[in-house]
Amino acid sequence: MRSLIPWRWKEGQSAPENALTEFRREVDDLFNQFFGKSGPLSYFAGGFNPPFDISETDQEILVKAELPGVDPKEIEVNISGSTLTIKGDKREEREEKTENMHRVERSFGHFSRSITLPCEVKEDSVEAGFKNGVLNLKLPKTESSKKKSIKIDVN
Amino acid sequence: MANQEMQVVDKKELAPESAELTRNGLYFTPAVDIFETDTELSVVVDMPGIHPDDIEIDLRENILTLVGESKEEQPKGEDLLVEYKSGGYYRTFRVNDLIDHDKIAASMSDGVLTLKLPKSAKATPRKIPVVT
Repeated sequence: MRSLIPWRWKEGQSAPENALTEFRREVDDLFNQFFGKSGPLSYFAGGFNPPFDISETDQEILVKAELPGVDPKEIEVNISGSTLTIKGDKREEREEKTENMHRVERSFGHFSRSITLPCEVKEDSVEAGFKNGVLNLKLPKTESSKKKSIKIDVN
Repeated sequence: MANQEMQVVDKKELAPESAELTRNGLYFTPAVDIFETDTELSVVVDMPGIHPDDIEIDLRENILTLVGESKEEQPKGEDLLVEYKSGGYYRTFRVNDLIDHDKIAASMSDGVLTLKLPKSAKATPRKIPVVT
């Protein structure tokens, strides 16, 4: 909150617009603290948003996502152009409502994530596997988007 | 705020003060749901990436220990987006005496471990009718 206190312009100090950016970030932090994961209103921001890992080799793009408790039949993977969309539902397996809850840490609900791929992929030859709650996608690159190295001739 | 992306599920790395582990690699504290019915206690644990054979469930002196060992290989190539790390899971619970230790059952599907801890006969509530 230092930015709120009027400052005397001195040489070597941060420019006024930097101070403003800093103030904005502090306000953002305040919001995140309140609505974010551990804040009092985190319940409204809650739901299930799975984490992804994406890596790239010369031949393909590998996408991994942790989806524990998601039925593989209910996962929808769509590719259009260079956008990959993964949708699904994580259901609660609890049926009875009379149970005493001692601890609730897991999250449930519908999720949908779209990721822009760094290059074009062969949509027809995408391999998808689901094992032990982890989704694995192999997206082979199209010939035109594979890395090519060009040699420079030095005379 | 409105266009801010929802936060991804955060994996908590095992707090070092809980107990030093004599194991290699990363270990996480898995998210757990515990609920109770009249006859049993259910423990549901998210352990994505763990093969059912690599899970150790140990109950000794009322301490229930759950360990999941990760045998997942790290992906090859250059990382583009890293939101989680693969690793094992470790968590311990203190279990009540009133659990029938011999009848604990565990099952696993899609990376979710479900433990059923049946209560022993003396712990299930009984209604006593009042005769007038």
